[in-house]
Amino acid sequence: MKTLQTKEGRANLRNSIIAIIIAFIFLFPIYWLVQISFKSDVETFGKVLSYYPREFTVEPWLVNLTDPTFLVSLRNSFINGFLTMGITLLLGVPAAYGMGRYKVPGGNVFLLTFLVAQMLPASLTLTPMYLIFNRLGFLGTHFAAPIAIAAASIPFAIVTLRPYFKSVPVALDEAARLDGCGPLRAFISIMIPAVKTGIITIVVISFLNGWNDLIYSMTFNVGAEMRPLTANIYKFQNAYGTKWNCIMAYGTILVIPVVLLFIFLQKYIVGGLTAGAVKD
Amino acid sequence: MKKMSLSMAGKRRREAYCFILPAFFYMILVLGYPLVYNIILSFKNVNVKNLTKGGSVFVGFQNYIDLFQNATFRLVLKNTFVFTIACLVFQFTIGFIFALFFSQKFKLSGPIRGMILVSYMMPMSVTGLLGKNIFANAGLINDLLSKIGIAGPEWLVNTSTSMIAVIIMNCWVGIPFNMLLLVSGLTNIPGDVYESASIDGATWIQRFRYITLPLMKGSIFSVLMLGFIYTFRAFDLMYIMTSGGPLNSTDVLGTYSYTLSFTQFEFSKGSAVAMVLFACLFIVGLFYLRLLSKEDD
Repeated sequence: MKTLQTKEGRANLRNSIIAIIIAFIFLFPIYWLVQISFKSDVETFGKVLSYYPREFTVEPWLVNLTDPTFLVSLRNSFINGFLTMGITLLLGVPAAYGMGRYKVPGGNVFLLTFLVAQMLPASLTLTPMYLIFNRLGFLGTHFAAPIAIAAASIPFAIVTLRPYFKSVPVALDEAARLDGCGPLRAFISIMIPAVKTGIITIVVISFLNGWNDLIYSMTFNVGAEMRPLTANIYKFQNAYGTKWNCIMAYGTILVIPVVLLFIFLQKYIVGGLTAGAVKD
Repeated sequence: MKKMSLSMAGKRRREAYCFILPAFFYMILVLGYPLVYNIILSFKNVNVKNLTKGGSVFVGFQNYIDLFQNATFRLVLKNTFVFTIACLVFQFTIGFIFALFFSQKFKLSGPIRGMILVSYMMPMSVTGLLGKNIFANAGLINDLLSKIGIAGPEWLVNTSTSMIAVIIMNCWVGIPFNMLLLVSGLTNIPGDVYESASIDGATWIQRFRYITLPLMKGSIFSVLMLGFIYTFRAFDLMYIMTSGGPLNSTDVLGTYSYTLSFTQFEFSKGSAVAMVLFACLFIVGLFYLRLLSKEDD
Protein backbone atom coordinates (compact mmCIF):
# COMPACT_ATOMS: atom_id res chain seq x y z
CA MET A 1 0.00 0.00 0.00
CA LYS A 2 2.78 2.33 0.96
CA THR A 3 4.50 2.15 -2.45
CA LEU A 4 1.32 3.31 -4.13
CA GLN A 5 1.53 6.50 -2.14
CA THR A 6 4.85 7.48 -3.71
CA LYS A 7 4.84 9.48 -6.92
CA GLU A 8 6.72 6.85 -8.87
CA GLY A 9 4.42 4.10 -7.69
CA ARG A 10 1.37 6.05 -8.84
CA ALA A 11 2.91 6.72 -12.26
CA ASN A 12 3.70 3.03 -12.53
CA LEU A 13 0.14 2.05 -11.72
CA ARG A 14 -1.32 4.62 -14.08
CA ASN A 15 0.94 3.49 -16.93
CA SER A 16 0.11 -0.14 -16.34
CA ILE A 17 -3.61 0.58 -16.48
CA ILE A 18 -3.25 2.53 -19.75
CA ALA A 19 -1.10 -0.28 -21.18
CA ILE A 20 -3.74 -2.86 -20.30
CA ILE A 21 -6.43 -0.76 -22.00
CA ILE A 22 -4.28 -0.50 -25.15
CA ALA A 23 -3.65 -4.25 -25.11
CA PHE A 24 -7.38 -4.86 -24.65
CA ILE A 25 -8.30 -2.73 -27.68
CA PHE A 26 -5.63 -4.25 -29.91
CA LEU A 27 -6.20 -7.85 -28.90
CA PHE A 28 -10.00 -7.62 -28.89
CA PRO A 29 -10.34 -8.33 -32.66
CA ILE A 30 -8.44 -11.58 -32.15
CA TYR A 31 -10.73 -12.52 -29.27
CA TRP A 32 -13.64 -11.67 -31.58
CA LEU A 33 -12.32 -14.01 -34.27
CA VAL A 34 -11.94 -16.88 -31.83
CA GLN A 35 -15.21 -16.45 -29.91
CA ILE A 36 -17.34 -16.51 -33.07
CA SER A 37 -15.69 -19.80 -34.05
CA PHE A 38 -17.24 -21.45 -30.96
CA LYS A 39 -20.79 -20.24 -31.58
CA SER A 40 -23.64 -22.45 -32.73
CA ASP A 41 -25.39 -21.79 -36.03
CA VAL A 42 -28.50 -20.59 -34.17
CA GLU A 43 -26.51 -18.02 -32.28
CA THR A 44 -24.59 -16.89 -35.37
CA PHE A 45 -27.85 -16.12 -37.13
CA GLY A 46 -29.44 -14.65 -33.99
CA LYS A 47 -30.87 -11.14 -34.07
CA VAL A 48 -28.88 -9.94 -31.06
CA LEU A 49 -25.11 -9.73 -31.34
CA SER A 50 -23.54 -11.65 -28.46
CA TYR A 51 -20.03 -10.93 -27.28
CA TYR A 52 -19.30 -14.50 -26.21
CA PRO A 53 -20.65 -17.93 -27.20
CA ARG A 54 -23.74 -18.55 -25.02
CA GLU A 55 -23.77 -22.22 -25.95
CA PHE A 56 -20.18 -23.22 -26.51
CA THR A 57 -19.69 -25.65 -29.41
CA VAL A 58 -16.76 -27.03 -31.40
CA GLU A 59 -19.05 -27.84 -34.32
CA PRO A 60 -17.64 -25.08 -36.63
CA TRP A 61 -14.15 -26.46 -36.06
CA LEU A 62 -15.30 -29.98 -36.89
CA VAL A 63 -16.97 -28.76 -40.09
CA ASN A 64 -13.54 -27.52 -41.22
CA LEU A 65 -11.41 -30.32 -39.84
CA THR A 66 -13.50 -33.06 -41.45
CA ASP A 67 -13.46 -31.42 -44.89
CA PRO A 68 -10.85 -33.12 -47.15
CA THR A 69 -10.21 -29.89 -49.08
CA PHE A 70 -9.55 -28.09 -45.80
CA LEU A 71 -7.05 -30.70 -44.66
CA VAL A 72 -5.22 -30.70 -47.97
CA SER A 73 -5.10 -26.86 -47.88
CA LEU A 74 -3.69 -27.01 -44.36
CA ARG A 75 -0.99 -29.35 -45.59
CA ASN A 76 -0.27 -27.01 -48.51
CA SER A 77 0.11 -24.09 -46.10
CA PHE A 78 2.80 -26.03 -44.23
CA ILE A 79 4.49 -26.97 -47.52
CA ASN A 80 4.48 -23.28 -48.51
CA GLY A 81 6.01 -22.28 -45.18
CA PHE A 82 8.70 -24.95 -45.09
CA LEU A 83 9.75 -24.62 -48.74
CA THR A 84 10.04 -20.85 -48.42
CA MET A 85 12.07 -21.32 -45.27
CA GLY A 86 14.31 -23.92 -46.97
CA ILE A 87 15.12 -21.77 -50.00
CA THR A 88 15.69 -18.70 -47.81
CA LEU A 89 18.11 -20.49 -45.48
CA LEU A 90 19.98 -22.23 -48.29
CA LEU A 91 20.66 -19.04 -50.25
CA GLY A 92 20.19 -16.17 -47.80
CA VAL A 93 22.39 -17.28 -44.92
CA PRO A 94 25.56 -17.93 -47.01
CA ALA A 95 25.07 -14.62 -48.82
CA ALA A 96 24.69 -12.74 -45.52
CA TYR A 97 27.88 -14.41 -44.33
CA GLY A 98 29.78 -13.58 -47.51
CA MET A 99 28.70 -9.96 -47.31
CA GLY A 100 29.28 -9.59 -43.60
CA ARG A 101 32.72 -11.20 -43.38
CA TYR A 102 34.44 -10.51 -46.69
CA LYS A 103 35.33 -7.28 -48.43
CA VAL A 104 34.80 -7.83 -52.14
CA PRO A 105 34.80 -5.53 -55.13
CA GLY A 106 31.21 -4.83 -56.06
CA GLY A 107 30.01 -5.49 -52.53
CA ASN A 108 27.87 -2.37 -52.60
CA VAL A 109 26.22 -3.46 -55.83
CA PHE A 110 25.14 -6.69 -54.14
CA LEU A 111 23.83 -4.86 -51.11
CA LEU A 112 21.92 -2.40 -53.27
CA THR A 113 20.40 -5.25 -55.29
CA PHE A 114 19.13 -6.96 -52.17
CA LEU A 115 17.79 -3.73 -50.69
CA VAL A 116 15.92 -2.92 -53.91
CA ALA A 117 14.64 -6.50 -54.12
CA GLN A 118 13.15 -6.11 -50.65
CA MET A 119 11.04 -3.19 -51.82
CA LEU A 120 9.63 -4.69 -55.02
CA PRO A 121 5.88 -5.30 -54.74
CA ALA A 122 4.50 -8.73 -55.64
CA SER A 123 2.12 -7.08 -58.13
CA LEU A 124 5.08 -6.05 -60.24
CA THR A 125 6.53 -9.48 -60.89
CA LEU A 126 3.28 -11.44 -60.67
CA THR A 127 2.12 -11.22 -64.29
CA PRO A 128 5.50 -11.95 -65.92
CA MET A 129 6.20 -14.74 -63.43
CA TYR A 130 2.82 -16.29 -64.21
CA LEU A 131 3.61 -16.24 -67.94
CA ILE A 132 7.13 -17.62 -67.38
CA PHE A 133 5.91 -20.37 -65.02
CA ASN A 134 3.16 -21.16 -67.50
CA ARG A 135 5.75 -21.76 -70.20
CA LEU A 136 7.98 -23.82 -67.89
CA GLY A 137 5.05 -25.92 -66.69
CA PHE A 138 5.55 -24.75 -63.06
CA LEU A 139 1.96 -23.62 -62.53
CA GLY A 140 0.02 -25.86 -60.18
CA THR A 141 3.13 -27.25 -58.46
CA HIS A 142 4.11 -26.90 -54.82
CA PHE A 143 7.29 -25.08 -55.80
CA ALA A 144 5.81 -22.22 -57.82
CA ALA A 145 4.67 -19.98 -54.95
CA PRO A 146 7.63 -20.60 -52.58
CA ILE A 147 10.10 -19.75 -55.37
CA ALA A 148 8.46 -16.34 -55.67
CA ILE A 149 7.92 -15.76 -51.93
CA ALA A 150 11.56 -16.61 -51.17
CA ALA A 151 12.64 -13.80 -53.47
CA ALA A 152 11.32 -11.45 -50.78
CA SER A 153 12.56 -13.49 -47.82
CA ILE A 154 16.16 -13.84 -49.02
CA PRO A 155 16.87 -10.06 -49.03
CA PHE A 156 15.27 -9.84 -45.59
CA ALA A 157 17.56 -12.63 -44.37
CA ILE A 158 20.62 -10.91 -45.80
CA VAL A 159 19.82 -7.45 -44.42
CA THR A 160 18.99 -8.92 -41.00
CA LEU A 161 21.85 -11.41 -40.68
CA ARG A 162 24.71 -9.40 -42.15
CA PRO A 163 25.23 -7.29 -39.01
CA TYR A 164 25.17 -10.47 -36.89
CA PHE A 165 27.98 -12.00 -38.96
CA LYS A 166 29.88 -8.73 -38.87
CA SER A 167 29.86 -8.68 -35.08
CA VAL A 168 31.38 -12.17 -34.65
CA PRO A 169 35.01 -11.75 -33.46
CA VAL A 170 37.59 -12.30 -36.23
CA ALA A 171 39.62 -14.49 -33.86
CA LEU A 172 36.89 -17.10 -34.03
CA ASP A 173 37.25 -17.95 -37.67
CA GLU A 174 41.01 -17.43 -37.66
CA ALA A 175 41.23 -20.11 -34.99
CA ALA A 176 39.07 -22.38 -37.12
CA ARG A 177 41.30 -21.78 -40.16
CA LEU A 178 44.43 -22.58 -38.13
CA ASP A 179 42.80 -25.83 -37.08
CA GLY A 180 42.63 -26.68 -40.76
CA CYS A 181 38.94 -25.95 -41.34
CA GLY A 182 38.04 -25.16 -44.94
CA PRO A 183 35.86 -22.11 -45.58
CA LEU A 184 32.70 -24.19 -45.83
CA ARG A 185 33.43 -26.12 -42.62
CA ALA A 186 34.24 -22.89 -40.80
CA PHE A 187 30.98 -21.37 -42.00
CA ILE A 188 28.80 -24.31 -41.03
CA SER A 189 30.35 -25.43 -37.76
CA ILE A 190 31.71 -22.14 -36.37
CA MET A 191 29.86 -19.17 -37.84
CA ILE A 192 26.29 -20.44 -38.00
CA PRO A 193 26.22 -21.48 -34.32
CA ALA A 194 27.71 -18.08 -33.46
CA VAL A 195 24.76 -16.25 -34.98
CA LYS A 196 22.08 -18.68 -33.77
CA THR A 197 19.76 -15.89 -32.57
CA GLY A 198 19.66 -14.32 -36.01
CA ILE A 199 19.12 -17.67 -37.70
CA ILE A 200 16.07 -18.39 -35.52
CA THR A 201 14.63 -15.03 -36.58
CA ILE A 202 15.06 -15.95 -40.24
CA VAL A 203 13.56 -19.41 -39.71
CA VAL A 204 10.44 -17.95 -38.12
CA ILE A 205 9.93 -15.00 -40.45
CA SER A 206 10.56 -16.94 -43.65
CA PHE A 207 8.16 -19.67 -42.54
CA LEU A 208 5.51 -17.04 -41.81
CA ASN A 209 6.12 -15.38 -45.18
CA GLY A 210 5.26 -18.68 -46.84
CA TRP A 211 2.37 -19.41 -44.48
CA ASN A 212 0.80 -15.93 -44.86
CA ASP A 213 1.17 -15.63 -48.63
CA LEU A 214 -2.00 -15.08 -50.61
CA ILE A 215 -1.23 -13.46 -53.95
CA TYR A 216 1.36 -15.89 -55.37
CA SER A 217 -0.35 -18.99 -54.04
CA MET A 218 -3.72 -18.20 -55.56
CA THR A 219 -2.30 -16.97 -58.87
CA PHE A 220 0.04 -19.87 -59.52
CA ASN A 221 -2.40 -22.56 -58.33
CA VAL A 222 -5.81 -22.69 -59.92
CA GLY A 223 -7.00 -25.96 -58.40
CA ALA A 224 -8.38 -25.82 -54.84
CA GLU A 225 -6.50 -28.98 -53.86
CA MET A 226 -3.13 -27.31 -54.60
CA ARG A 227 -3.90 -24.10 -52.74
CA PRO A 228 -2.93 -23.26 -49.16
CA LEU A 229 -5.53 -22.05 -46.63
CA THR A 230 -5.04 -18.35 -47.40
CA ALA A 231 -5.75 -18.82 -51.10
CA ASN A 232 -8.86 -20.94 -50.47
CA ILE A 233 -10.60 -18.39 -48.23
CA TYR A 234 -12.99 -17.39 -51.01
CA LYS A 235 -13.89 -20.97 -51.82
CA PHE A 236 -14.84 -21.69 -48.22
CA GLN A 237 -16.56 -18.34 -47.81
CA ASN A 238 -18.77 -19.19 -50.75
CA ALA A 239 -19.46 -22.64 -49.34
CA TYR A 240 -20.26 -21.36 -45.84
CA GLY A 241 -22.28 -18.36 -47.00
CA THR A 242 -23.03 -16.28 -43.93
CA LYS A 243 -22.10 -19.04 -41.48
CA TRP A 244 -19.58 -16.80 -39.82
CA ASN A 245 -18.84 -19.35 -37.10
CA CYS A 246 -17.39 -21.74 -39.72
CA ILE A 247 -15.51 -18.94 -41.51
CA MET A 248 -14.01 -17.72 -38.24
CA ALA A 249 -13.00 -21.25 -37.24
CA TYR A 250 -11.18 -21.37 -40.57
CA GLY A 251 -9.51 -18.03 -39.80
CA THR A 252 -8.62 -19.09 -36.26
CA ILE A 253 -6.90 -22.25 -37.47
CA LEU A 254 -4.96 -20.11 -39.94
CA VAL A 255 -3.79 -17.86 -37.10
CA ILE A 256 -2.86 -20.58 -34.58
CA PRO A 257 0.68 -21.31 -35.87
CA VAL A 258 1.38 -17.58 -36.01
CA VAL A 259 0.27 -17.07 -32.43
CA LEU A 260 2.21 -20.13 -31.21
CA LEU A 261 5.41 -19.01 -32.90
CA PHE A 262 4.80 -15.55 -31.55
CA ILE A 263 4.32 -16.72 -27.96
CA PHE A 264 7.39 -18.96 -27.90
CA LEU A 265 9.79 -17.01 -30.11
CA GLN A 266 8.61 -13.42 -29.63
CA LYS A 267 12.08 -12.21 -28.67
CA TYR A 268 13.53 -13.37 -31.99
CA ILE A 269 10.68 -12.03 -34.10
CA VAL A 270 10.69 -8.58 -32.52
CA GLY A 271 14.47 -8.31 -32.64
CA GLY A 272 14.54 -9.37 -36.28
CA LEU A 273 11.81 -7.00 -37.41
CA THR A 274 13.64 -4.06 -35.90
CA ALA A 275 17.02 -5.03 -37.28
CA GLY A 276 15.67 -5.71 -40.75
CA ALA A 277 13.77 -2.48 -41.10
CA VAL A 278 15.60 0.34 -39.40
CA LYS A 279 19.26 0.55 -38.79
CA ASP A 280 20.43 2.33 -35.71
CA MET B 1 55.86 -12.57 -50.78
CA LYS B 2 53.70 -10.10 -52.65
CA LYS B 3 52.60 -12.72 -55.13
CA MET B 4 51.54 -15.00 -52.31
CA SER B 5 49.42 -12.36 -50.57
CA LEU B 6 47.85 -11.54 -53.92
CA SER B 7 46.85 -15.13 -54.46
CA MET B 8 45.56 -15.24 -50.89
CA ALA B 9 43.40 -12.22 -51.63
CA GLY B 10 42.23 -13.86 -54.82
CA LYS B 11 41.34 -17.01 -52.95
CA ARG B 12 39.38 -15.10 -50.34
CA ARG B 13 37.57 -13.21 -53.06
CA ARG B 14 36.60 -16.46 -54.77
CA GLU B 15 35.33 -17.80 -51.46
CA ALA B 16 33.24 -14.69 -50.92
CA TYR B 17 31.69 -14.94 -54.37
CA CYS B 18 30.83 -18.59 -53.77
CA PHE B 19 28.79 -17.51 -50.76
CA ILE B 20 27.16 -14.45 -52.29
CA LEU B 21 26.54 -15.26 -55.93
CA PRO B 22 23.94 -18.04 -55.62
CA ALA B 23 21.55 -15.65 -53.84
CA PHE B 24 22.46 -12.86 -56.23
CA PHE B 25 21.70 -14.95 -59.34
CA TYR B 26 18.49 -16.16 -57.73
CA MET B 27 17.41 -12.53 -57.40
CA ILE B 28 18.33 -11.78 -61.01
CA LEU B 29 16.44 -14.83 -62.23
CA VAL B 30 13.34 -14.59 -60.03
CA LEU B 31 13.03 -10.79 -59.75
CA GLY B 32 15.30 -9.11 -62.28
CA TYR B 33 14.18 -11.07 -65.30
CA PRO B 34 10.44 -10.75 -64.55
CA LEU B 35 10.95 -7.03 -63.90
CA VAL B 36 12.43 -6.55 -67.37
CA TYR B 37 9.78 -8.84 -68.82
CA ASN B 38 7.11 -6.72 -67.14
CA ILE B 39 8.45 -3.54 -68.73
CA ILE B 40 8.35 -5.19 -72.17
CA LEU B 41 4.85 -6.61 -71.53
CA SER B 42 3.55 -3.16 -70.66
CA PHE B 43 4.51 -1.95 -74.14
CA LYS B 44 2.82 -4.87 -75.93
CA ASN B 45 -0.76 -6.07 -76.27
CA VAL B 46 -0.53 -9.54 -74.71
CA ASN B 47 -3.88 -10.98 -73.64
CA VAL B 48 -5.39 -14.42 -73.28
CA LYS B 49 -6.23 -14.62 -77.01
CA ASN B 50 -2.75 -14.07 -78.41
CA LEU B 51 -0.88 -15.64 -75.49
CA THR B 52 -0.78 -19.17 -76.85
CA LYS B 53 -1.28 -18.42 -80.53
CA GLY B 54 1.29 -15.66 -80.67
CA GLY B 55 0.83 -12.51 -82.66
CA SER B 56 1.18 -9.95 -79.87
CA VAL B 57 2.81 -6.74 -81.10
CA PHE B 58 4.45 -3.69 -79.59
CA VAL B 59 2.00 -0.87 -79.10
CA GLY B 60 4.30 1.77 -77.65
CA PHE B 61 2.75 3.83 -74.87
CA GLN B 62 -0.80 2.90 -75.86
CA ASN B 63 -1.49 0.94 -72.63
CA TYR B 64 -0.36 3.88 -70.53
CA ILE B 65 -2.38 6.36 -72.60
CA ASP B 66 -5.45 4.13 -72.28
CA LEU B 67 -4.96 3.91 -68.53
CA PHE B 68 -4.75 7.61 -67.89
CA GLN B 69 -7.79 8.23 -70.09
CA ASN B 70 -9.72 5.64 -68.09
CA ALA B 71 -11.80 7.08 -65.23
CA THR B 72 -11.59 3.82 -63.26
CA PHE B 73 -7.81 3.89 -63.33
CA ARG B 74 -7.73 7.50 -62.19
CA LEU B 75 -10.04 6.57 -59.32
CA VAL B 76 -7.80 3.62 -58.44
CA LEU B 77 -4.73 5.85 -58.45
CA LYS B 78 -6.49 8.34 -56.20
CA ASN B 79 -7.66 5.54 -53.87
CA THR B 80 -4.12 4.23 -53.57
CA PHE B 81 -2.82 7.62 -52.47
CA VAL B 82 -5.75 8.30 -50.14
CA PHE B 83 -5.32 4.89 -48.53
CA THR B 84 -1.55 5.22 -48.20
CA ILE B 85 -1.49 8.76 -46.86
CA ALA B 86 -4.37 8.23 -44.41
CA CYS B 87 -2.74 5.05 -43.12
CA LEU B 88 0.63 6.73 -42.79
CA VAL B 89 -0.77 9.72 -40.89
CA PHE B 90 -2.75 7.64 -38.39
CA GLN B 91 -0.37 4.76 -37.88
CA PHE B 92 2.61 7.06 -37.54
CA THR B 93 0.99 9.55 -35.16
CA ILE B 94 -0.63 6.95 -32.95
CA GLY B 95 2.39 4.67 -33.28
CA PHE B 96 4.64 7.51 -32.12
CA ILE B 97 2.43 8.30 -29.12
CA PHE B 98 2.46 4.61 -28.19
CA ALA B 99 6.22 4.48 -28.67
CA LEU B 100 6.72 7.44 -26.31
CA PHE B 101 4.39 5.80 -23.83
CA PHE B 102 5.97 2.34 -24.00
CA SER B 103 9.54 3.63 -23.87
CA GLN B 104 8.87 4.61 -20.25
CA LYS B 105 10.06 2.10 -17.72
CA PHE B 106 7.19 0.27 -16.06
CA LYS B 107 6.50 -3.35 -15.39
CA LEU B 108 4.09 -4.20 -18.20
CA SER B 109 5.82 -2.07 -20.85
CA GLY B 110 7.86 -4.85 -22.49
CA PRO B 111 5.28 -7.67 -22.51
CA ILE B 112 2.36 -5.58 -23.76
CA ARG B 113 4.46 -3.80 -26.39
CA GLY B 114 5.37 -7.23 -27.74
CA MET B 115 1.88 -8.67 -27.38
CA ILE B 116 0.07 -6.14 -29.56
CA LEU B 117 2.47 -6.90 -32.43
CA VAL B 118 0.64 -10.15 -33.05
CA SER B 119 -1.74 -8.34 -35.43
CA TYR B 120 1.26 -7.50 -37.60
CA MET B 121 2.35 -11.11 -37.81
CA MET B 122 -0.94 -12.72 -38.72
CA PRO B 123 -1.97 -13.26 -42.35
CA MET B 124 -3.41 -10.09 -43.87
CA SER B 125 -6.11 -12.28 -45.42
CA VAL B 126 -7.44 -13.12 -41.94
CA THR B 127 -7.35 -9.41 -41.07
CA GLY B 128 -9.51 -8.95 -44.16
CA LEU B 129 -11.97 -11.60 -42.97
CA LEU B 130 -12.16 -9.94 -39.58
CA GLY B 131 -12.75 -6.54 -41.17
CA LYS B 132 -15.54 -7.96 -43.26
CA ASN B 133 -17.18 -9.32 -40.12
CA ILE B 134 -16.84 -6.41 -37.72
CA PHE B 135 -17.79 -3.78 -40.30
CA ALA B 136 -20.85 -5.74 -41.46
CA ASN B 137 -24.19 -3.94 -41.08
CA ALA B 138 -25.05 -5.73 -37.86
CA GLY B 139 -21.41 -6.24 -36.91
CA LEU B 140 -19.34 -5.29 -33.89
CA ILE B 141 -18.58 -1.70 -34.91
CA ASN B 142 -22.20 -0.74 -35.51
CA ASP B 143 -23.26 -2.55 -32.35
CA LEU B 144 -20.76 -0.52 -30.32
CA LEU B 145 -21.87 2.68 -32.07
CA SER B 146 -25.52 1.95 -31.33
CA LYS B 147 -24.64 1.58 -27.63
CA ILE B 148 -23.61 5.24 -27.61
CA GLY B 149 -26.64 6.20 -29.64
CA ILE B 150 -25.11 6.46 -33.09
CA ALA B 151 -26.66 4.69 -36.05
CA GLY B 152 -23.63 3.37 -37.92
CA PRO B 153 -23.55 3.42 -41.72
CA GLU B 154 -23.52 0.33 -43.92
CA TRP B 155 -19.74 0.52 -43.95
CA LEU B 156 -18.91 -1.91 -46.73
CA VAL B 157 -21.96 -1.13 -48.88
CA ASN B 158 -21.50 2.63 -49.20
CA THR B 159 -18.80 3.88 -51.52
CA SER B 160 -18.19 6.76 -49.12
CA THR B 161 -17.42 4.62 -46.05
CA SER B 162 -15.78 1.47 -47.43
CA MET B 163 -12.35 3.08 -47.65
CA ILE B 164 -12.57 4.25 -44.03
CA ALA B 165 -13.22 0.68 -42.90
CA VAL B 166 -10.25 -0.63 -44.88
CA ILE B 167 -7.99 2.11 -43.52
CA ILE B 168 -9.01 1.31 -39.94
CA MET B 169 -8.22 -2.38 -40.43
CA ASN B 170 -4.84 -1.53 -41.92
CA CYS B 171 -4.02 0.80 -39.02
CA TRP B 172 -4.75 -2.04 -36.60
CA VAL B 173 -1.75 -3.75 -38.20
CA GLY B 174 0.35 -0.65 -38.90
CA ILE B 175 0.22 1.09 -35.51
CA PRO B 176 2.03 -1.68 -33.58
CA PHE B 177 4.60 -1.96 -36.35
CA ASN B 178 5.33 1.77 -36.37
CA MET B 179 5.47 1.72 -32.59
CA LEU B 180 8.01 -1.10 -32.58
CA LEU B 181 10.36 0.68 -34.98
CA LEU B 182 10.04 4.01 -33.18
CA VAL B 183 10.57 2.50 -29.72
CA SER B 184 13.91 1.13 -30.88
CA GLY B 185 14.84 4.62 -32.07
CA LEU B 186 13.76 6.16 -28.77
CA THR B 187 15.69 3.72 -26.62
CA ASN B 188 18.85 4.74 -28.45
CA ILE B 189 18.60 8.29 -27.08
CA PRO B 190 20.88 8.37 -24.05
CA GLY B 191 18.94 9.00 -20.82
CA ASP B 192 21.38 11.60 -19.48
CA VAL B 193 20.42 13.99 -22.29
CA TYR B 194 16.93 14.19 -20.81
CA GLU B 195 18.24 14.38 -17.27
CA SER B 196 20.37 17.43 -17.93
CA ALA B 197 17.46 19.03 -19.78
CA SER B 198 15.17 18.37 -16.81
CA ILE B 199 17.70 19.99 -14.49
CA ASP B 200 17.76 23.00 -16.81
CA GLY B 201 14.00 23.22 -16.30
CA ALA B 202 12.77 22.12 -19.75
CA THR B 203 9.10 21.18 -19.93
CA TRP B 204 8.14 17.90 -21.57
CA ILE B 205 7.00 19.76 -24.70
CA GLN B 206 10.40 21.46 -24.97
CA ARG B 207 12.16 18.16 -24.36
CA PHE B 208 10.11 16.54 -27.11
CA ARG B 209 10.60 19.42 -29.54
CA TYR B 210 14.30 20.06 -28.97
CA ILE B 211 15.66 16.67 -27.94
CA THR B 212 13.45 13.79 -29.05
CA LEU B 213 12.46 15.01 -32.50
CA PRO B 214 15.94 16.05 -33.74
CA LEU B 215 17.54 12.86 -32.40
CA MET B 216 14.79 10.73 -33.93
CA LYS B 217 14.99 12.33 -37.37
CA GLY B 218 16.65 9.30 -38.96
CA SER B 219 14.22 6.81 -37.45
CA ILE B 220 11.20 8.94 -38.33
CA PHE B 221 12.24 9.24 -41.97
CA SER B 222 12.90 5.56 -42.41
CA VAL B 223 9.67 4.56 -40.65
CA LEU B 224 7.66 6.86 -42.92
CA MET B 225 9.36 5.71 -46.09
CA LEU B 226 9.15 2.06 -45.15
CA GLY B 227 5.50 2.62 -44.24
CA PHE B 228 4.88 4.14 -47.65
CA ILE B 229 6.60 1.26 -49.43
CA TYR B 230 4.61 -1.38 -47.50
CA THR B 231 1.25 0.43 -47.61
CA PHE B 232 1.28 1.60 -51.21
CA ARG B 233 1.47 -1.96 -52.51
CA ALA B 234 -1.49 -3.22 -50.46
CA PHE B 235 -3.37 -6.14 -51.96
CA ASP B 236 -4.44 -8.90 -49.55
CA LEU B 237 -6.56 -6.72 -47.29
CA MET B 238 -8.74 -5.25 -50.04
CA TYR B 239 -8.88 -8.47 -51.98
CA ILE B 240 -10.44 -10.38 -49.07
CA MET B 241 -12.32 -7.62 -47.25
CA THR B 242 -14.01 -5.79 -50.15
CA SER B 243 -12.63 -7.23 -53.43
CA GLY B 244 -11.97 -3.59 -54.32
CA GLY B 245 -15.64 -2.72 -54.16
CA PRO B 246 -18.24 -1.41 -53.91
CA LEU B 247 -17.89 0.19 -57.36
CA ASN B 248 -14.08 0.28 -57.19
CA SER B 249 -14.22 2.49 -54.08
CA THR B 250 -11.48 0.44 -52.38
CA ASP B 251 -9.71 -0.68 -55.54
CA VAL B 252 -5.98 0.13 -55.37
CA LEU B 253 -3.16 -0.31 -57.89
CA GLY B 254 -2.31 -3.78 -56.56
CA THR B 255 -5.85 -5.15 -56.82
CA TYR B 256 -6.59 -3.36 -60.10
CA SER B 257 -3.47 -4.78 -61.74
CA TYR B 258 -4.49 -8.23 -60.53
CA THR B 259 -8.01 -7.87 -61.90
CA LEU B 260 -6.75 -6.79 -65.32
CA SER B 261 -4.23 -9.62 -65.55
CA PHE B 262 -6.10 -12.49 -63.95
CA THR B 263 -9.83 -11.88 -64.29
CA GLN B 264 -9.84 -10.05 -67.61
CA PHE B 265 -6.62 -11.73 -68.81
CA GLU B 266 -5.36 -8.44 -70.27
CA PHE B 267 -1.79 -9.18 -69.20
CA SER B 268 -0.22 -6.13 -70.83
CA LYS B 269 -2.71 -3.76 -69.22
CA GLY B 270 -2.09 -5.38 -65.82
CA SER B 271 1.65 -4.95 -66.36
CA ALA B 272 1.23 -1.28 -67.19
CA VAL B 273 -0.67 -0.70 -63.93
CA ALA B 274 2.07 -2.54 -62.06
CA MET B 275 4.63 -0.24 -63.70
CA VAL B 276 2.79 2.83 -62.40
CA LEU B 277 2.83 1.25 -58.94
CA PHE B 278 6.53 0.58 -59.32
CA ALA B 279 7.31 4.12 -60.50
CA CYS B 280 5.72 5.62 -57.37
CA LEU B 281 7.56 3.20 -55.09
CA PHE B 282 10.80 3.79 -56.95
CA ILE B 283 10.82 7.51 -56.20
CA VAL B 284 10.28 6.95 -52.49
CA GLY B 285 12.65 3.97 -52.56
CA LEU B 286 15.48 6.17 -53.85
CA PHE B 287 15.17 8.44 -50.79
CA TYR B 288 15.12 5.41 -48.52
CA LEU B 289 18.23 3.92 -50.14
CA ARG B 290 20.07 7.22 -49.86
CA LEU B 291 19.22 7.33 -46.18
CA LEU B 292 20.42 3.75 -45.65
CA SER B 293 23.65 4.25 -47.57
CA LYS B 294 24.40 7.35 -45.48
CA GLU B 295 24.05 5.31 -42.32
CA ASP B 296 26.00 2.34 -43.64
CA ASP B 297 29.75 2.33 -43.20
